[in-house]
Amino acid sequence: MNTFTKIGWRNITRNIYRSSITIAAVAVGLASLIFLKSFIDGADRQMVENYTDLLIGHIQIHKAGFQKNMGLEKSISGPEALISSFKSTPGIRYAVARIKDFALASSPESSSGIMLFGIDPTAETKISILHKRIRQGRFLEKDDDDKIVIGRSLADHLKVATGDKVVLMSQGADGSMAAAAYEVCGIVEAGAEEIDKGLALITLKAAQELLVMGNKVSEIVVKADSLEKIDDIKEILKSKVNTNKFEVLTWKEISPMTYQWLQFDQVFTGLILFIVLLVVAAGILNTVLMGVLERTREFGIMLALGTKPSQITKMVTMESLFLGLFGVLIGSVAGLGLVIFFGKIGINLSAISSALNSFYIGSVIYPRLDAMSFCLYAAIVLLVSMLVSIFPAKKASRLSPIEAIRHI
Amino acid sequence: MQRPYIITINNLSKVYTEKYSNIQYKALDNINLNIEEGDFTAIAGPSGSGKTTLLNIIGALDKPTSGEVMIENTPLSTLTATESAQLRLKNIGFVFQAYNLIPTLNSLENAEYVALLQGVPQNRRRNEILQILKELRLDNLANRKPSELSAGQQQRVAVVRAILGRPKIVLADEPTANLDSKTGAELIELMKTMSQNLGITFIFATHDKMVMEKAKTLIQLHDGKII
Repeated sequence: MNTFTKIGWRNITRNIYRSSITIAAVAVGLASLIFLKSFIDGADRQMVENYTDLLIGHIQIHKAGFQKNMGLEKSISGPEALISSFKSTPGIRYAVARIKDFALASSPESSSGIMLFGIDPTAETKISILHKRIRQGRFLEKDDDDKIVIGRSLADHLKVATGDKVVLMSQGADGSMAAAAYEVCGIVEAGAEEIDKGLALITLKAAQELLVMGNKVSEIVVKADSLEKIDDIKEILKSKVNTNKFEVLTWKEISPMTYQWLQFDQVFTGLILFIVLLVVAAGILNTVLMGVLERTREFGIMLALGTKPSQITKMVTMESLFLGLFGVLIGSVAGLGLVIFFGKIGINLSAISSALNSFYIGSVIYPRLDAMSFCLYAAIVLLVSMLVSIFPAKKASRLSPIEAIRHI
Repeated sequence: MQRPYIITINNLSKVYTEKYSNIQYKALDNINLNIEEGDFTAIAGPSGSGKTTLLNIIGALDKPTSGEVMIENTPLSTLTATESAQLRLKNIGFVFQAYNLIPTLNSLENAEYVALLQGVPQNRRRNEILQILKELRLDNLANRKPSELSAGQQQRVAVVRAILGRPKIVLADEPTANLDSKTGAELIELMKTMSQNLGITFIFATHDKMVMEKAKTLIQLHDGKII
């Protein structure tokens, strides 16, 4: 071992109590960073998955302009060919057709504006988890053309339960008045108020009949194998359709608010991480600076004996590197352990479940860690521990030997 | 036959200014001095006479207010901090009153510190150092830290550190001040032997009569002037 490395190392063990506190501060800081980032990533992931799994899907294909100005005139004819083509695309798990339109739902007691979906009940279960959120009754089945599933809050507003009738009114594609009565077969509780308050599901066939759409649909919803592949798949789908006639949109474009929220979340996370880093940096700076002040006389002797200022700098930096390395090692193991443990059992936040549900987040959050963030944070903490030593190291190297030797 | 001068001091003065009162204090006053190669010189004088200040300036640890010190014709005033460090490393060994060993290193590592900075290969360094430590009856203490050594043992390690790098000059500031008379005498005898065998110039700052008696050249300082 190089002499300056050796002296640096021995200075760590010289005041083992102080060094341990600093190593603990670095370790706790890094473990907190890793755990916090994993927790937020876990919550964000759940939010995106729930949001896309409930209704939106990963990618939607509409007639051009539909997303901006929804209307039955912007419908897709013969969707089967497109769906078949999409299903054979690598990375796509499933694709389904839907009708989507505004309508008025009425009961003898009340009425409310809703978003009406016409769905294929069997296919829908492959891209959506709505069928798992039925709280009363059951989900739609293949030939339930006279049945309807509505959201919990809508049912409360209309004062209906399963078995009751709800009348839907809208305007057909041909401009005619569309109206029909459906029996409530299920009440869904998605957890998100905007869905629970305004959702109504009938079969695709029933919707096509109600809205006089023939075999046309409003959109094709695509579910990818993983969230990470969505942007690539979008490009593939764009190459398969005439982009002058169709729009291919990812969930980020369909719900920019949600996407922006996630981005804000990441910025906020970054801010917290920065504060934690500052605390870690202050801890190391304090220890190294104290060590330098304590050893002023020793540095004076070394300088007097012919040690170059740059060698003193190296020695002090080595001390900081050792502190940082130990802290990072312990912090990584602790952080990783926490993430693995809570990643399995989850963190139960049912006390604030209603608040979480409104953000599409479940009551139990499972932290998830990506290797990139883990390595990045470990490297940043190590780098910070090195950087903060520059000031005390320079201070030590610039000492006047004679004044330093006189220092008590 | 007169040997060449290794140290030449011309019109050297050092004035300290009190930080708060601005009162000036002349530590050295127009010193002119030449020291021959291999000399065994004692600079004597009472406390405050300027002995340590003179030694510090010769050792490029401090800068004079005016005048010049030249070591082998190199004027010290022109050197940067790194160049001063290099000059000390190659040419000057130090023995301090308070030994000033590095507390985290053991006796062996302390003794070889300067040689190590000079880049002397480990094999040569270790062989030589173990031999010297044996001669000084310090070989069984090689792995002990300074805090585990007596004052005399620490000072002997400091002397080994000073001479192991083969300096041309060794500056020793009150090397016997913290030692009993027997240990002090042994130490001076050791340095005298080294001076004779290795041709090293020794300069002591001292008010120890025993050291003055052993010196080949005696310089008396009083109130910063040579008398």
